[in-house]
Amino acid sequence: MFSIPTFLESFGPLAMAARFTLLVSGLGIALGLVIGALVCACALSKSRGLRRFAAIWVSFLRGVPLLVQLLLMYYLLPVVGISIPALAAAVITVGICASAYISEIWRGAIGALPPGQSEAAEAIGMAPGTIWTRIVLPQAVVMSLPALVNELILLVKASSLVSMVGIMEVTRASQAQAATTFRPLEVYLAAACIYLAINLCLAGIGRWLEHKAAV
Amino acid sequence: MVQASSVEIRKVNKFYGPFQALTDIDLSIPPGKVTCLIGPSGSGKSTLLRCINFLEEYDSGEVLIDGQMIGYDAPGKKMSGRKLREMRRGIGMVFQQFNLWPHMTAQENVAEGLIRVRGLPKAEAASRAAEALRKVGLADRMANHPARLSGGQQQRVAIARAIAMEPKLMLFDEPTSALDPELVGEVLTVMKTLASEGMTMVVVTHEMGFAAHVADQVAFMEAGELVAVDAPSRILHQPEDARIQSFLRTYHERNAF
Amino acid sequence: MEWSVFQQYGPMLLRGFGITIFCWIMGTILGMALGLMIALAQRYGPRPLRWLLQAYIEVIRGTPFLVQLFVLYYGGPLVGLRLDALPAGLLGLTIYGSPYFAEIFRSGFNAVPKGQIEAARAIGMAEVSIIRRILLPLGLVSALPALVNFSIILTKETVILSIITVPELMYQVSRMSTETFRYLEANFVLALFFWGLVEAISRLGRRFETRITQHLIERV
Repeated sequence: MFSIPTFLESFGPLAMAARFTLLVSGLGIALGLVIGALVCACALSKSRGLRRFAAIWVSFLRGVPLLVQLLLMYYLLPVVGISIPALAAAVITVGICASAYISEIWRGAIGALPPGQSEAAEAIGMAPGTIWTRIVLPQAVVMSLPALVNELILLVKASSLVSMVGIMEVTRASQAQAATTFRPLEVYLAAACIYLAINLCLAGIGRWLEHKAAV
Repeated sequence: MVQASSVEIRKVNKFYGPFQALTDIDLSIPPGKVTCLIGPSGSGKSTLLRCINFLEEYDSGEVLIDGQMIGYDAPGKKMSGRKLREMRRGIGMVFQQFNLWPHMTAQENVAEGLIRVRGLPKAEAASRAAEALRKVGLADRMANHPARLSGGQQQRVAIARAIAMEPKLMLFDEPTSALDPELVGEVLTVMKTLASEGMTMVVVTHEMGFAAHVADQVAFMEAGELVAVDAPSRILHQPEDARIQSFLRTYHERNAF
Repeated sequence: MEWSVFQQYGPMLLRGFGITIFCWIMGTILGMALGLMIALAQRYGPRPLRWLLQAYIEVIRGTPFLVQLFVLYYGGPLVGLRLDALPAGLLGLTIYGSPYFAEIFRSGFNAVPKGQIEAARAIGMAEVSIIRRILLPLGLVSALPALVNFSIILTKETVILSIITVPELMYQVSRMSTETFRYLEANFVLALFFWGLVEAISRLGRRFETRITQHLIERV
């Protein structure tokens, strides 16, 4: 029988572990935003070499499952002589993976601006740098916000995979909890509820941003 | 009177791959006069207009603004971006799709160029923007974003954005084609005022009434060639060329009730 | 690095690859079918059913696939749902994919212009034939790029099945690497393999799209 007390008791330890879920996904998206901006700049640059690099970056990171990327990083770092905490390695991997998706989000937002916007600025003699900072970027950033929130939701879910390299986030904590209580159904359902709560909040923020951007 | 530029177009050619969009265009646009470019769609009128401020790069020939070639230092040698921007400051342009910047209010749209290109302090730019908007009859719409303005109002903001830069030449690329019929008049009125102040204007248009009453000369283009340039009455009422006759016949049939 | 292990473990890896492809294809087909039913039920079903389905969509999309698999595979037996790893994995993949497919179908249906459905009503077509002859063909075509896209995402999700011991490729690779201690090489090859697979499927998908939508592209 489904034990409601076990279900409710699971929330305590799992909520503590949720800090790490939020940490991995939050830092992951922050890192992804920075690297994604650089990759996007490469993708839009005049240099063929940089464009080629960006294309390979995006295609590799979107083609390889995150779980494989995590294990690859986990086994690669000691071989090349880098020793950093597992949490840092996980955040970096998640951030690099997110950068591929984020650079595509930004490229899409910039591409969606009507070309007449920049033409009108060019016609009054605005310099290219000014056109970027005053006309293109402010609009592209606002347009991309809902997609970025969506990406963050994907990262919260994807962060469940860092349990496989030993990070004590919600999923790993629920595995431990299930092993000690022998009540996997209740514990895993509680974990699902925590993820759902986080993501429903984020989705709400996303809808609010979308609404604001539309006004 | 505003200071007005002249434009000299000589043997201009433009290719898109193998397709020739402009063939040996010669056209001289006198200062302070209104020149209308008419012709069927796809005839190259917009392309020619966009060559005048080098938004479209012509491949050979010359476009001279007050005697200075735009886009090239010498044939085949591109001008620096800085120099090109310098020249563009003297040329205002109004687009078919308005191209207002949706994240700025009407006043900010007009002030943006004054601040970022002319380097005016913000307060002065704001007051000049307000003045330009008053001139196009939008003093009460300054704080609105483009999405809260009608098409005619948006196009008048776009005109204000151009004239605030104090250009000596104005280019209009089908400024009323994207407007509902009842909104065309307000935009044409503003353009007429500008013409009466002695601005050099080049207007690509399908408004034959505007061409007939406001233009000093009308140029008819077809298939990338300039067929004729003459006084509006000669082109619109007694055209000699069969191509113009057929274009006007279609135009009148479409507009007959 | 030592590459000869791949020869030795070749047959095992090949079996794993077969199971990966099987899971992907079955998961896509079943998930699509369930998603289509959800989308149609949401369009034509009674209001309470629509709410229920919307809640289902939100819950599945709001939780990680891994946690869903844990609930199903480890939690299932507690309520009498005792499945082997492979069927549990397939069921999990189907459930996981269905809300995404449902949303894709829904926006595909919404992309069919109202006027074209009204035109069918105006000539007296029955609602069922409108669905079969107008809504489905047109909606499917406009949903196609997103469908292809999501089925590509599903190829990558199949590796998560290894965690509940479905003997697919990732599972075989980790078994091989624990037996031979060649962790890095194994995962490196696995990464390259998935990169190639996803690129190949995307290319095929794009070709398929252009072939199927050719007659709808306006040509002057």
